[in-house]
Amino acid sequence: MNNIDDPNSLANRVKAIPGGEMLLYCYSCGTCTSKCMIQTKQDEDFNPRRLIRQAVFGLEEEAYNDTTTWLCSACDLCYPACPQKIHISGVINAVKQLAVESGIKTSLKTAVVDTSTCVACGLCVAVCPYEAIKLVDTKLAFRGMLPVATVDPAKCMGCGLCGAVCRSTSIGLPEEYTDASVMHELWSWLDAEEAQ
Amino acid sequence: MVDAARQPLIEVKTFTEVEKVEGFVGNFKVTLREKSKYVRADRCNGCGACTKACPVEVPNYFEMNLAPRKAAYVPMSQSVPLIYTIDMDACIHCYKCVEACGPLEAIDFSMTDVVTEEEIGAIVVATGFGHFDPSVMEEYGYGRFPNVITSMEMERLNNSAGPTHGKLIRPSDGQAPKSLAFINCVGSRDKRYIESCSNFCCMYSIKNAILVKQMHPGTDVTVYYIDIRTPSKGYEEFYDRAREMGIKFVQGRPAEITEDPVTHNLFINGEDITLGKVVEREFDMVMLNQAAVPQPDQNHMSSVLNVAQSPGGWFMEYHPKLRPMDSPTDGIFFAGACQGPKDIPASVAQGSAAAARASRILHSKTWQIEPTIAVVWPDRCVSAQGKQCGLCEKACPYGSIIYETGKAAEVITAKCHGCGGCVGECPHDAITQLHYTDAQILAQIRTLLATEPEKKILTLRCHWCSYGGADLAGTSHFEYSANERGIKVMCSARMDSDFIYEAYRLGAGAVLYSGCHTQDCHYITGQIVGEKRAKRLATIFERMNMSPGRFRVEWISAAEGDKYARVVNEMQATLDAIPEDELKAEIERIKPEVAKRLTRLPNVPGVVPSMQHIDKVVDVMLQEVA
Repeated sequence: MNNIDDPNSLANRVKAIPGGEMLLYCYSCGTCTSKCMIQTKQDEDFNPRRLIRQAVFGLEEEAYNDTTTWLCSACDLCYPACPQKIHISGVINAVKQLAVESGIKTSLKTAVVDTSTCVACGLCVAVCPYEAIKLVDTKLAFRGMLPVATVDPAKCMGCGLCGAVCRSTSIGLPEEYTDASVMHELWSWLDAEEAQ
Repeated sequence: MVDAARQPLIEVKTFTEVEKVEGFVGNFKVTLREKSKYVRADRCNGCGACTKACPVEVPNYFEMNLAPRKAAYVPMSQSVPLIYTIDMDACIHCYKCVEACGPLEAIDFSMTDVVTEEEIGAIVVATGFGHFDPSVMEEYGYGRFPNVITSMEMERLNNSAGPTHGKLIRPSDGQAPKSLAFINCVGSRDKRYIESCSNFCCMYSIKNAILVKQMHPGTDVTVYYIDIRTPSKGYEEFYDRAREMGIKFVQGRPAEITEDPVTHNLFINGEDITLGKVVEREFDMVMLNQAAVPQPDQNHMSSVLNVAQSPGGWFMEYHPKLRPMDSPTDGIFFAGACQGPKDIPASVAQGSAAAARASRILHSKTWQIEPTIAVVWPDRCVSAQGKQCGLCEKACPYGSIIYETGKAAEVITAKCHGCGGCVGECPHDAITQLHYTDAQILAQIRTLLATEPEKKILTLRCHWCSYGGADLAGTSHFEYSANERGIKVMCSARMDSDFIYEAYRLGAGAVLYSGCHTQDCHYITGQIVGEKRAKRLATIFERMNMSPGRFRVEWISAAEGDKYARVVNEMQATLDAIPEDELKAEIERIKPEVAKRLTRLPNVPGVVPSMQHIDKVVDVMLQEVA
């Protein structure tokens, strides 16, 4: 636990990031947690109220490694329900940014870009709900300095929208979520049905 | 109420509206509209035959619309005085009540409202509070789900004189509920609706929970709360008793209520924050403890009585700690929740205090007021010469200045509270404030800036807030620059622009213009007058190219000693940051510019002799120091 007056305390660093300003207004009523879909349907350990408390009291390690920091999809169901008008997903996002800055990586499988085929059309930038994709000038093998889509893994929530809109299949989720593996899985179901 | 009605010295006027309040302490003229009851008070004996005869049924607002009443009615059986009323909005003019009344002939459809003007010495306002309508909070489903009820509805259902004769039933099917949840802080402590705490609801929900448990043992009662507040005598013990009886208290504010559309049972999905777990539970009935809000017509009453409202809409008291039952207007007092939500003991205490304060006025032949009142020099007022002005009238928060073009402005002394706003605003120096005359304050400025004025920070502080703040900075040992020199006036509205010009003409290093925060102002809207002037001054000095920070406007409350010290230190740092020769050059450059704005000052009565006198005093002082 650290001193809240210290400008370097976790609470003050969270407050300095846009979205985290209202942090100290939380009186821990639990409305956000009762409203949360991830909490009720997915993961019982997910708890925005607890995360805010950890941020207020400067429990840095607990906050950075809490599932709440990494799984919040910013659906903002809790925001209109909060009696203190705290933008809870903003606070969570601020904690996440600090966690990423301190070197912790998300456990989610975030989007990857194939720079050899990306034509920087910007469709993925336009659809990304988390503003995780930017067109950045990058030095590419055989192609020289060109803008290509670049994913900020700290912001990406792994929804896969970018992969769905990309016309050159240059961006998408990795491993079992690539277009090829999803198609493969679909075909395998059809094959299994036919076999029956 | 019955006792009050029987007391021969008390006249109870029900169904009567206050339309206009004029005059001042001890001499109010109040216009009352006694609404027509269509039943003659001198003939009605309260037998109730008209109600029995009346064929019209409308919802009974006294029973929270849970039961019907007739168009000929009394709100409740204990009404004082027990005189029936015909509700003309509902009446179908069948005149069956007239027949039923028979030879008494109490019902008179030709009655009209009676408007009277009465002379009143003192007024006690006890208009109470209203209820927050929880139907705007969609998440709790009030109005959509029949078994979600409010605390007032619960009160009627639990009352033996209520529509169910005290039987607690579910509105959906009339069955007794086996499990019951109370949700506290519905609308209160909520930045979306009512920011403040409603004060009494915690105890209220505990009371209702205990009542239910006593009348229907075996009912499962759960109270959802954010914090339980039991601050008064015996309250914590009451809370203990509730827990002892097996009432469950869950810390956590439920986000939503959902309903089973077939059984109309309700589901509350709420986090028990002490467990850190979300627990879903099913209830037969849910009661919402809604917030207390000001009466719907509180704004209207506030303008009729000319009393201000605090943030939140409640009537504003003279002083939150020292005079909580007085209004800022002399002779008007508050009792109960109209001044802010409070429980019964606190309301009774405030009501008794208000009555005692009022009787003090009624028993006095004369009435003492603050001596710092405003006085007009009629020969200097331009209105007397037929010119349009009226700035003093606009500045007065109490309506104590009578202004009419062609006549000199006139101050009603009994209404004047001595903020000095009119004095600061008058562009012709035609008004002065006793004990805070221009001559007196200018003499103070001259004395304080007698030596090395370029190093001094002159501060103008209002009596109630920033002066208190400076005082607190001293008693708390918050260190601030020793170059600070303070002058007290009653309100920031009194801080005449002439004072600041004069300070710069004498070569002051920096000037602080400070007063209360808007909502704390002792003179209702005095600070607003002061703030407007301060902003005007700030732009004037900006145009003169004065270094930023040499004229500063800050609102500092009496509790903000640290802020006062910080502001003065910041101003000292600003002065230190300007090189000495540059500062001196700037002061010399500005001197003639502000002097231009002070040409009329010597014409103000008393200023010249006072200046001559103070110059001599300063000379003697300096010689003694040398």
